[in-house]
Amino acid sequence: MATTSNESDSSRKNTDNRENDNKDEQNNMFECNICLDYAKDAVVSVCGHLFCWPCLHQWLETRSSRQVCPVCKAVISKDKVIPIYGRGNTKQEDPRNKVPPRPAGQRTEPDANTGFPGFNFGDGGFHLSFGIGAFPFGFLTSFNFSDRHGVPVGGQLPQDDHYLSKLFLWIAVIFIIWLLLA
Amino acid sequence: MNNIATQRIKREFKEVIKSEELAKCSIKVDLIGDSYTELKGEIAGPPDTPYEGGTFFLEIKVPETYPFNPPKVRFMTKIWHPNISSVTGAICLDILKDQWAAAMTLRTVLLSLQALMAAAEPDDPQDAVVAKQYKEYPEIFAKTASHWTNVYAGGPNKNSEFDTKIQRLIDMGIERDQARGALSTYNWDLERATEQLFS
Ligand SMILES: [Zn+2]
Ligand SMILES: [Zn+2]
Repeated sequence: MATTSNESDSSRKNTDNRENDNKDEQNNMFECNICLDYAKDAVVSVCGHLFCWPCLHQWLETRSSRQVCPVCKAVISKDKVIPIYGRGNTKQEDPRNKVPPRPAGQRTEPDANTGFPGFNFGDGGFHLSFGIGAFPFGFLTSFNFSDRHGVPVGGQLPQDDHYLSKLFLWIAVIFIIWLLLA
Repeated sequence: MNNIATQRIKREFKEVIKSEELAKCSIKVDLIGDSYTELKGEIAGPPDTPYEGGTFFLEIKVPETYPFNPPKVRFMTKIWHPNISSVTGAICLDILKDQWAAAMTLRTVLLSLQALMAAAEPDDPQDAVVAKQYKEYPEIFAKTASHWTNVYAGGPNKNSEFDTKIQRLIDMGIERDQARGALSTYNWDLERATEQLFS
């Protein structure tokens, strides 16, 4: 049975290949102008040139001082590219191809995320000593941290964080009062 | 080398092979080894120029960041041209530097170099000596470039007057390429070339 299905699989692949070849000849107008492959996560510039988003993004990163269209050298920018959504274009796509480093939401995670709850408290202590220079900001950072991780981390950690936040809050209040008085 | 660079070069390689320029023997690209990081380019000297009839070989090095950065290209065949070093073969061409764009290909690079051979830009020179001759003595420049094409690139125009002068320097113990270089630099003034070589 396995053999049969393999055979039908391979025969289907052959027809697929033949279809792809035909498509290649007809449709190279849908090739990305940078990698010259079929455009993945396609975007089009205002000057009308087609790219994969990951390709165009890397080009804009490489030439951050002078952002021009790789084809016609018209001025372009990240905000002015138009994504193209074809019908059912996500269906057959390998999800590994879908890792465009989209510009939004790039953020370095703290090391503590990798496990070892024991270190988390140490990390909090780190915030404490580090935050003194610009205190109100240190306070805000630690607050964000606990907000974001409150749900998934669980266990003892949120309590620690909560305690630290309170501590920070009090120190911040004292600091501000001291500032006002001074 | 990362995937996109290799993939691109493979595709471009096919593109050049299919191109009409190849059919006209005007440009060509060959692989060196199978790494796709180093290639050998070939350009036919454009018609109605001193380079006509010559075949010029290029060293092409593809960086890991290709096509986001340009390939590194150098003339392996010696050439007398204002924008190409007569000593190292280094090229001064904007698209190989800051005017590079990721949609350009090996084919467009080779065609641009061919265009540069047909229309030099002496105000933005790579070889100051050649550029000066190009501007001040255009006829001597054309003869010199044609002579270099004959000697190094298999061009058709032999220049017996130049050959005689070179032979005179060789008889004095100067190496052939060095003699040709000195004479070309001093507009084929044998006395000045000799003076320079023995000073
Ligand atoms: Zn692409
Ligand atoms: Zn464009």
